[in-house]
Order: sequence, then C-alpha cells, then structure tokens
Amino acid sequence: MYLAIEEPTETISNDAVKVWRISNTIGHSIAILILAILVVCEENFGWYVWIGLVLYILLGLTFVSSIYSIFIEPTYLQKTWRYSIDNQFVQMKRGKWSEQHTLIPMEKVEYVRTEQGPIMRRYGLYNIEIGTTASNHIIPAIPRDEAKRLKAQIAVFAKIQDQESAKGEK
Amino acid sequence: MNEGIKRYHPAFIVVELLSFFKGSIGFFLFLFVLKAASTATWVLWGRYIFVIACVITILSILLKWFYHRYEIAGDSIVVYEGIFVKRQRTVAIDRIHNQVSNTTFVHRWFGLTSLSLETGTIGDNATFTFPVITEGEKQRILLSLESGKEPIAAVNDGEIENRSKRTVHFRSTKKDIVKASFTSFSFLAIFPILTAIYFNLAEFFQIEESAENALDYLLIHWWMLIVLFVLALVLSVGIGFIKTSMKYGNYVISNDTERIYIEKGIGNFTSFSIQKHKVQAVIVEQTILKRILGLASIKLLSASTSGDEDSQETSSLYPFMPKHEAYQILHTMLPHYHIEENMNRFPLKVLWLKLLQPYYVTILAIIGLVIFKREWLWAAIIVFGLSILSRILDYWFTSYIRHGKTVQIRKGGFTNETFVTHRERIQQITVKHSWLQRKFGVATLTFTNKAKPLHESELYGVSKEEAGTFFNWYQKVL
Repeated sequence: MYLAIEEPTETISNDAVKVWRISNTIGHSIAILILAILVVCEENFGWYVWIGLVLYILLGLTFVSSIYSIFIEPTYLQKTWRYSIDNQFVQMKRGKWSEQHTLIPMEKVEYVRTEQGPIMRRYGLYNIEIGTTASNHIIPAIPRDEAKRLKAQIAVFAKIQDQESAKGEK
Repeated sequence: MNEGIKRYHPAFIVVELLSFFKGSIGFFLFLFVLKAASTATWVLWGRYIFVIACVITILSILLKWFYHRYEIAGDSIVVYEGIFVKRQRTVAIDRIHNQVSNTTFVHRWFGLTSLSLETGTIGDNATFTFPVITEGEKQRILLSLESGKEPIAAVNDGEIENRSKRTVHFRSTKKDIVKASFTSFSFLAIFPILTAIYFNLAEFFQIEESAENALDYLLIHWWMLIVLFVLALVLSVGIGFIKTSMKYGNYVISNDTERIYIEKGIGNFTSFSIQKHKVQAVIVEQTILKRILGLASIKLLSASTSGDEDSQETSSLYPFMPKHEAYQILHTMLPHYHIEENMNRFPLKVLWLKLLQPYYVTILAIIGLVIFKREWLWAAIIVFGLSILSRILDYWFTSYIRHGKTVQIRKGGFTNETFVTHRERIQQITVKHSWLQRKFGVATLTFTNKAKPLHESELYGVSKEEAGTFFNWYQKVL
C-alpha cells in the first residue's frame, strides 16, 4: 500500500466487464464507420489532401483506442474499482498504474440517483450517481438490489448529516 | 392585493426605459438620421420593425412592473414574475450567502438603489435581484434577512442605524487613492481614450493630413513637443486619479459580529455584505508591483462569487492596502483565517519529477512545424526552453502548509496567489499517484471549494506521507 490510508473494499459487479466491452464495441464501431464513410467521400469527391491525411490518422487512433478500451480497459477498471460508504463519507478508488482516491463527505451530498442503460438492463446492473455541490461521481455497475439499498442508505446519511451541519453553522 | 406583496418602486419603469433608450439610440440614429433620405426597402422595413419593437418593449416594461411582485413571508422570500407565463420563486433566507447593492447615477436621482441576493446554487435562478427599490425598503429586506423573522412593518432610519454596532476597519483617504491610481497604472488609461477620439474624428474629418503637417511642425519646434508631452502627462495623471477615485473612493470596510461589509465608489456606489461563516476561503493576491510596494489584495471567496472580474473586485478588501495592515484587518474580522507567511517549497526531487514529465506542447510543435513549416523548426527549441522555464518557475513558487484546520497553498510566479481555507469548507478531495510519482514517493492532491465556478486547487508533488495524512485529516481519523 502506497498511502497510509484506509482503503475502500467493496467491489463492483463482474458483469461490468461484459457491459463495458459491449458498449465500447458499439461506440467504436460507430466511430470507425463514420470515419470510413468520410474516407470514401474524400476519395470520390476530391477533397483537400490534408483532410484525407487527418482522416487516416484519426482512423488509426480510433483503432488503437478500440483495442485498448475493448480488450484491456474493462478488465483493468473492474479489477481496480473499489468503493465504500459509511455514515460520514463516500470513498472511491480506481486504477492501479495511476491510482486515484476520492473522498466526499456525506454533508456535501446533494442528491443520489441510479441509472441504467439498455445493456446494463440485460445484466441487471445500475450506475449510482452521487451529486455534490461541486460535481457528480458515478459508482458503476452495481447489482440491482445492492444499488437500491445503497441509494436509500446514501440518501438517509446525507439527510442526517445536512441537518447536523446546519445546526453546527448557527 | 395582499398587503405583504409589493411591487418595485415605479421608478423601475424610468430606469428600464433609460437603459432601453441607451441600447436603441444607435439604431434610431442610423435609421432616422443617417439614412433619413433613403427610401430603400430594407430601411423602410427597418423603421417599421424598430417602431414595433419600441412599442412592444415599452409595453412589456410597463407590464413587467405591474406583474413583478415580491413578498417576505416568514423565513423566505417569494418572487412572483412573468407576464404570460407566471413564475413563482421562493428562497429560504438562510440559503442566501451574500448580497450586493449597487446605486448608479440614475438610481441616485430618485433616491433609490438596487439589491441582489445571491444563493449558493448553480444556475439561472441563483440570484434574486430587486433592480429598483427605495433605501428604506432595502433596509427592511436586509433587516428581515438578519433577524430571519417577520419584517417589522415600519422602520425609522434612526432604528436602522442603531440596530447593529459596526466597527469600521478601513476608510480610504486621499493618500490611498493617489497610491492606488499609480499602482493600478490607471494613468495609462488616457492612451486608449486618445486613440478612440483620434479615430472617431478621423472618420468624419480629413485630419490625417493635418496631423502629419502638425507632426512636421512639432518636429521642427521640439520644445513644443516637450510642453505637449508634459501637458499630456498631467492630463493622464488627472484622468487616472479621477477614474480611480470613482472606483475606489469612499472605500469602507466594516464588520459586526455576524457580517462583513464592503462599501465603495463615488457616483456608482456598491455595497457588499457576507455572513462570516459563509466565507468559503480567503485569497491573497500580489502582483510583482504590489510585492515591490508591499501591498496586497485580499479576496473573500463566497459560494456565489462568480468568476468575472467585477464581482471578484466587489468581494475584495481594499486592493491597495499595505500587506500587514490587510492581514491585521482580516485577522480581526475573521480570526479563524490565519495566514502563515513562512511557507516551504517541496523537496528538490519534485522539480526533477516535473522536468521528467513528457513535453506534449514541444512534441506537438515539432510535429506541426515538420508538416507545415520545416524551415522554422528552430522555434521548437524556444517552445522547449519556455516549457522548462515555466516548470522551474512553477516549482519555485508553489508551496503548501497545513496547520490545525487550515490549509494554505501559494502559487504563481508573476502574480502570486495565496489560498487559505478550512476543512469544513472543502467540498471533496482526490489523491492521485501515477507510476512515475510512486518512484519519487509523491502524489497529487486535489481539493474543491464552493464558488462560481468551482475553485479547484491542485498540488502536484505532495509527499506520500503528507498525502496520506491529508486524506486521514479530512476523514477526521486523526
């Protein structure tokens, strides 16, 4: 352990890997398709040479990024995502080569909600979105019952903390 | 009509009409004076559209005055507005973070003022504005804000004066204004004014030629040049002084147990007040010139301070105050914010780490130059040199200290900024470390403070021990 802190322990669902693979495959296929159409147009309609050059570079980059985000990233993210929620803080951690810890006090939590896309629905997973006054954070791919429980729990903790801090301020 | 529900003062109509005339006078001159003889279709149509737009605007101003109403009900303020689409907005009084009152020339003629109440939320509805109200009405609203209870129906001026014991900490004198006008380089303001006058005149008259003749004449009679130069200097200093005193004249900083008040301006009078516990952070800013002269400007960061220059200036203590005096005032008003002068740089290894980072801008510059302008490739060396210099400066001027509940960071080479905040005011923290950073035993620390837009502080190169301690400190494990 690099930092002398208490690290979060809860993991996200194993199915996250499949969900991310499918959605990244779809996304990258669409991007490559659009670029391919543009390349065909460029060849047929005699656009400027540099447009073709840029298009080929973009195509190459998209291809490399699709290999990363379909085969490597999902497993890597799923293996390294950790979170923990107690009555004081939401703590999140992700990454290994580049590790990132985030800490959000419950009293700063403004809203919490769950969301689900069509692919996630197939696997019965939800994203939990935690909104603070500063920004919003997503804990991805939580199984349905767990997600509902966490949402309710965060809402309760946030509410209690808000009242306490309001009293403290006066 | 309910007794508690009020309209703005009728002068609202006049103020709105004046600002409308100011906005449309250009169109009017163009359509009816410059193109007076024209019978082109678009000019005729333009006139019709202009007249119709005028009628609609004037009507809507009248209706707006009629339908915009507000009410102070218990511990909240309710605003009713909208002509066709009715809207009703409610804000709880304890959600209001700070208030700004602005009295322009026009307001003054009628003995009126304006008031904006700012809440900490994000979005269009964050500010409640009362564009035209009487001074007494403003006091009534403010009083109900302070007591948080039902407003007192009729308040005499005398009572208002007595209601709180304000201590005045600073009042700007003539000497201060003179100092300010030199430090802010406002005497240079004459050059844009002169050029604007010159080009405006040049458009109408053929002064180009006569100007050249005049220049020839002056070059021969050089002593006149000197006289003119001195005259221009005197004039510019005078204009600079007037501009500065309009802006910073009558600067008064005061406080009572609850709030801090900042008032300023001659002619255009602005007052700002914030509850002490709603100050999110304190920023001390020093430009090079101010550092040489030993001055500092202190800003109070509030949740609704927007990023633009104007409101930042509104919430700042007098920006040309001697540093120790500014610190003293800050310390008496906000005893929790103690500014530590002696701060330490990060260990030298952080500099090496910073220099080891990839030079993206240089790489991009090389690629761009190779493709488009190969003969300019040497420019990449300059880019490389500049990025090394900026990294060294960045390292040299970054420092960090944490004591008790306070965090303080200092950044910036030419303009140096010290940011002080408390644990309770930090919204969230993030600690990051990459593979390379781990080799050097450091981490990146990021924390966010409420403001508009959010104030994010990032520190690259905090030692891993301190990063861990900071995390635990924020988590109150320690």
